[in-house]
Amino acid sequence: MSAEFDPNAIQGNIVRGYGIHHVRYLMLEVTDRKAAREFLVASLNGENPNVPIIQRETEWEENPEVCFNISLTFPGLQALGVSKKNLATFPIEFRDGMASRALKIGDFGDSAPTKWAPPFDEPDRIHLIASIYSDSEEHLDKVQTQVAEAFNILGTRDGRDLAKSKVVFGYVDSISQPKFKGIHDKSQNKNDELLDPLGTILLGYPTRMEGVYFGIPSPSELGFNGSFNAFRVLSQDASGFENFLTEAAEFLLKHPNLKDVLPPGGARQVGKGFSRKTALREIVAAQIVGRWRNGVPYELSPDTMEPDPKVSLTNFDYNRNSRCPVGAHMRRCNPRGGPIVQRVANLTRRIVRRGMSYGPDFDPKNPDDRERGLLGNFLGANLGAQFEAVMYDWLNLGLQHPDITGSNDPLLGANSVDTSWFDMTTRTGGKIRLHGLPRFVVCRGGAYTFLPSIAAINYLSQLKN
Amino acid sequence: MSNEESWFGRFVDTLPTKGWFKFLSKYVVTPYWLWKDPKPKLPGGPRVSSQPSDNVQRMMNLIMPLKDPSEIGKARAVMAIAQNVDEIFGGLDNVGTVHFARFVILGDKLCMISVYDGDFSNYIRDFIVTVGSVFDAIMAEIEGGSALIPTEQNVEAFIEWVHEHDLFQAPDFPTELFTLQDQAKGIGPDGPVHDLSTLPRNLVLQFHSNPDISLGGGYRAYPGFSAAQIREKLGVGW
Ligand code: HEM
Repeated sequence: MSAEFDPNAIQGNIVRGYGIHHVRYLMLEVTDRKAAREFLVASLNGENPNVPIIQRETEWEENPEVCFNISLTFPGLQALGVSKKNLATFPIEFRDGMASRALKIGDFGDSAPTKWAPPFDEPDRIHLIASIYSDSEEHLDKVQTQVAEAFNILGTRDGRDLAKSKVVFGYVDSISQPKFKGIHDKSQNKNDELLDPLGTILLGYPTRMEGVYFGIPSPSELGFNGSFNAFRVLSQDASGFENFLTEAAEFLLKHPNLKDVLPPGGARQVGKGFSRKTALREIVAAQIVGRWRNGVPYELSPDTMEPDPKVSLTNFDYNRNSRCPVGAHMRRCNPRGGPIVQRVANLTRRIVRRGMSYGPDFDPKNPDDRERGLLGNFLGANLGAQFEAVMYDWLNLGLQHPDITGSNDPLLGANSVDTSWFDMTTRTGGKIRLHGLPRFVVCRGGAYTFLPSIAAINYLSQLKN
Repeated sequence: MSNEESWFGRFVDTLPTKGWFKFLSKYVVTPYWLWKDPKPKLPGGPRVSSQPSDNVQRMMNLIMPLKDPSEIGKARAVMAIAQNVDEIFGGLDNVGTVHFARFVILGDKLCMISVYDGDFSNYIRDFIVTVGSVFDAIMAEIEGGSALIPTEQNVEAFIEWVHEHDLFQAPDFPTELFTLQDQAKGIGPDGPVHDLSTLPRNLVLQFHSNPDISLGGGYRAYPGFSAAQIREKLGVGW
């Protein structure tokens, strides 16, 4: 099936972000099917002032005060009464659920589902994950109270954007993002990457893979225009990360090839007022992600985080002589047009990211170990072809390039200190290997959810059994 | 018991060779145990592991029942492959993660046996992306294959079908069979402990649901290397 795209047919926050800086996620259990269905009816027609209205994908001049959206897990579709026959038409990854796919996506050891925080330790009870976006605490509370009338709230999670669009490790995030033809996203005005086909994110449209369509779950009212999400609560060890940067800088200071990383007198070129140690810490941080912490792509500006003239944040590609390490986080997640082993897979595993940080601010000068991290949403039309494909073959394992095969993502891979390694590139085309990266990011919970279209929410609200 | 150096022990040891006993176990004992303790079909293919070295050089034993298992039907399957083999091998080359692949006709089945790196779904999906339209000609000769054509538009269903027809790989550590059988029944690691002496019986029962299996992970001359790593080391490009 292929159709004209109608923005009013889908929920908001899927093909582009809201630009609101606070979010509350509600993990919900359906305990009264009838009440749940009535809630869905009202969330569409807006006739009950005590039920929040589903925010649709429409362009607005000023942000609404609150945006409410829902997503469903597989047990959630069951709980709402979707027939066995139709349930079986959903893809296997979603039917299994995130906890069952743990080993594949690197959730073992401290990230194992048995160690997940409540309510994620009981994955079968999580039926819906609703999100409330609003910059007013009052609205968040009000909508939460309204939802509690129809569902059992198992738990909530609050997220917020940190100052200057940064994430917990101090990087500016959400720069690279798939963009779709015909959809105008203000926040992506400066993003000059290739457009992605709608089938990357919605079911029922052509994908980047020629001739390939992802299956639409039945009935098509339920499946068409839908999307899938991997919701992840990812705790980030900020002090551990800063300590590692210091250790790596000290290691490089003693390294015989130090001048290939930082020539004598080069520190101030890296960043204003930098000492040699600070400069090395920032070089390591930049190579680990593929961007300097201020967002400047390492590929376009390997010697300084303050290039003059400025460089594009998004318009670049990788090649066999790239300065951006093959193992850098963003090159692993999206190798762009660069050389990869899976020659047909370039640009086919794109992921739309919607995330906010949680927990207290981190001050590198007064480090502490309180829990903080990312409430991440990794969206796509097919969890297996996008999220899992990236997690299993690329972020961990490193199958896309023989030089990194057997190593994990330096930033969030399933690393252990004894075996982990990361190859930095040098100015002379050589490599310096860093060892001893711990696992900086631990999964605290999550769920695979289905993001239903407006027609699908209507379908679910009308089920009779 | 059978290890005891008593006349009874020796008697029990000889049982498997006795005709009446074979008869009894085939028609009474095994069916009774299957009824009492059924074993769900165990999933095919290699299992995911947290060890990177286990996640390269993985085996696929895809066993596809021929629509027409007569001599003529087999010849048709051979033709379908012969006409498309260059494209199929070219496609495998583009997938990039495949070490070896070959076709075998065995009884009334067409088998595709291969060694690949990483994720099974990615391997099959990328394969279909490159040569799906060509592979359709082969699927047309396979029982149940028509429902999956064109494979490009049934990628998920095709991946699941291949997974179902990939042989179960008996674990290298025999006792792991208990864990897998428990998992298949939805019993977690805290379930009841198994008596080691029941292992042979559990294997016998498993054969009822998985009549054909692959024995362990197989031999590897250079374990832990991906296809691309070997190509790079040999300087043949990847
Ligand atoms: C706590 C965990 C994570 C942190 C701190 C993090 C951080 C970052 C940063 C700083 C960037 C560069 C900014 C940008 O280009 O927008 C980035 C890019 C990216 N990350 Fe992550 N990330 C995390 C988890 C993940 C996960 C789990 C995935 C995928 C499964 C992922 C996929 C991506 C992708 C696709 C890009 C864009 C690459 C590109 O298009 O060039 N990230 N991440």
